[in-house]
Amino acid sequence: MVVQMENKITSFVNSEDVDRPVLINVEDTNIYYGDNHAVKHVNMPIHERSITALIGPSGCGKSTFIRTINRMNDLIPSARCEGKIDYHGINILSPKVDVVKLRTEIGMVFQQPNPFPKSISENIQLPLKFAGIHNKKTLRDVTEKCLKQVGLWEEVKDRLDRSATGLSGGQQQRLCIARALALKPDVILLDEPTSALDPVSSAKIEELLLQLKKDYTIVIVTHNMQQAARIADYTAFFYQGELVEFGTTKTLFTMPEKKSTSDYICGRFG
Amino acid sequence: MNSKVTNRIALSLIVLCAVIMVSTLAALLGYILVKGLTNISWHFLTSESSAFMAGGGIKDQLWNSFYVLIITMILTIPIGTSGGIYLAEYARPGKLTSFIRSCVEVLASLPSIVVGMFGMLIFVNYFGFKFSVLSGALALTVFNLPVIVRVTEDGFRALPLHQKEGGLALGLTHWHTIKTILLPEAFPSILTGIILSAGRVFGESAALLFTAGMSTPNLDFTNWNPASPNSPLNLFRSAETLSVHIWAVNTSGIIPDIQAVANGSSAVLVICVLMFNLLARAVGKMINQKLSGR
Ligand SMILES: Nc1ncnc2c1ncn2[C@@H]1O[C@H](COP(=O)(O)OP(=O)(O)O)[C@@H](O)[C@H]1O
Ligand SMILES: [Mg+2]
Repeated sequence: MVVQMENKITSFVNSEDVDRPVLINVEDTNIYYGDNHAVKHVNMPIHERSITALIGPSGCGKSTFIRTINRMNDLIPSARCEGKIDYHGINILSPKVDVVKLRTEIGMVFQQPNPFPKSISENIQLPLKFAGIHNKKTLRDVTEKCLKQVGLWEEVKDRLDRSATGLSGGQQQRLCIARALALKPDVILLDEPTSALDPVSSAKIEELLLQLKKDYTIVIVTHNMQQAARIADYTAFFYQGELVEFGTTKTLFTMPEKKSTSDYICGRFG
Repeated sequence: MNSKVTNRIALSLIVLCAVIMVSTLAALLGYILVKGLTNISWHFLTSESSAFMAGGGIKDQLWNSFYVLIITMILTIPIGTSGGIYLAEYARPGKLTSFIRSCVEVLASLPSIVVGMFGMLIFVNYFGFKFSVLSGALALTVFNLPVIVRVTEDGFRALPLHQKEGGLALGLTHWHTIKTILLPEAFPSILTGIILSAGRVFGESAALLFTAGMSTPNLDFTNWNPASPNSPLNLFRSAETLSVHIWAVNTSGIIPDIQAVANGSSAVLVICVLMFNLLARAVGKMINQKLSGR
C-alpha cells in the first residue's frame, strides 16, 4: 500500500531539474509569537525563476515563515523575528527595509481569495494607480495583459466594471494572482492558494503557476503533497517549526534523507 | 423540570419581553402622533412662534434644529472619524491608547445636562460666544464626538483582516490601504451610525438650554448674509431648537394654546427622529447591496 502510494506520487514528479541561481537566502531565521518559538533556525535558499514548495503538517510554521519573507508578519504585534533573509544583498528582516517597496517586489496571494469589493478592473488598477500610473490606455493595457496571464481575460472581458465579488472562488483567486502581477514583482508568495478551491480551479492555478515560473520566482505553501510533487522544483519539509529537509522535489520525494520526511510523504502522519 | 418545559418557559419570557417592548413603543408613538398630528398644519410648520397669542408656529425652531445639527456634524464628523481610524488602525495597544479610549467612554456617558453646563461655562462665558448656534453646536460636539469615534472604530474593527492584508501585500502604504480599501468598506456602517447619532443630536434639549438659548431673533429668511443678526445662517445668534421649544413652552409659556403647540412640536420631533432611523436603515441596506456586487 505504502509502496504503491510512493510510486503514484513519484510518477508525478516534475522532471526538470535545473539548478537556478539563488535569489533569496534564508540564514538561521527564528520567528516567535510572544514566547512561542514558531519557526526555528531555518536555513534554505530560494532559487530564481523556479517553484519552491513548503510542505508539512498544519501548525508547523509554514504560513509564519512565508509571511516573513515579505514582512506581512509585521501586522501581528506579538510576532518577532531574528536572523537574516538575504535578497539582492539586503537583509529583508532589517528594520531599515522599506517594507512598502519590498512588497511591490515580493507580492503575496492568500489562502482565502480576497478581491477588493470593487470592480474587476479596479482590483488590478489600484496598485498601478498608487504607483503613479494614471494614463487610461496604459491602465487598460496592463489590466488586459495581467488578466490574460492568468487566463481570466476571456471569462471577464465583458464585465470588467462589475464587482469582483461576483466571480467564482477560482476566478477570484486568479484575479488575486493577476493583481499581484500588475506591478511586475520578482517573487510571488502563495499561502495555500488552492485549498479553498474545487479541483478544476486548483488544476487551473497549478497550470498557471507552471507558466508564471518562466518569469517569476514562486514560493508556495501547500498541505497537498501531490500538488508539491506536480509543480515544485524544490521542496522544503517543515515539522514542528523546524526545516527538516530541503532539496529538489525529485530528491525529496524519491530519496528523502530523514525518516520523518518519508513518513510524512507516505502519509504516515500529517 | 425537563428541558422541554424549561425551553417553553424561556421562550415565553422572551416573547413577553418583546411584546412589552413593542407595545410600549407603539403606545408612546401612537399617543404622541394621535395627540400631535391634528395640530400639525402647513401654517404651523411655516409660521413664526408667538409669545402671547394663540396660533403660533415652529418655523424658526425647526430651522434651528436642522442648522444646529448640520454645524454639529460639520464639527464632529471629520474629528470623530479621524479619531476612530486612529484608534482602530494606528494606536498601538498600551497605556496611552487605553487612556484615550477611557476618555471617549467617559465623554460618551456624561449626562447631557452636565455637558450643557460645561458648554455654558466654556463656550458661552469663557469664549464669549453668548447663547448662540455655535455654542450649542460645540456643546453637542462634546456629546456627539465620542459616538462618532466609537462608530468609526467599530466599523473598522468589523472588517475582515484579509482585506487589509490584501492591500498591504500589493505594496500599498497603510494610509492608502485605509483610504482606498478599508474606508469604503466600513463606510456603510459608519454612515448608519452617523445618521442614528444625528437623530439623538436632533432631539437633544438639556445640552442646548444654556448654550443655544431659549429664544430666537425674528429670522428673516430672505437674508442669507451670515453676518447680519437676523439671518438664519448667523452662527452667533441665539437659536431655540424644537426640543428646547417644547420644554420652554411647557414650563414657562404664557400662550393660550400651550397644549396644541407642545403636542404638535412633539409630533414633528418624533417624525423627524423616526425619519433619521428609517433613513439610516435604508442607506445601510442600499450601500450593502451595491457593494455585494451584481
Ligand atoms: N497570529 C498568531 N499569533 C500567535 N501565534 C500564532 C499566530 N499565527 C500562528 N501562530 C502559531 O504559530 C505556529 C505556526 O502556525 P502557522 O504558521 O499558521 O502554521 P501552518 O501555516 O504551517 O499551519 C502555531 O503554533 C500557531 O499557533
Ligand atoms: Mg497556514
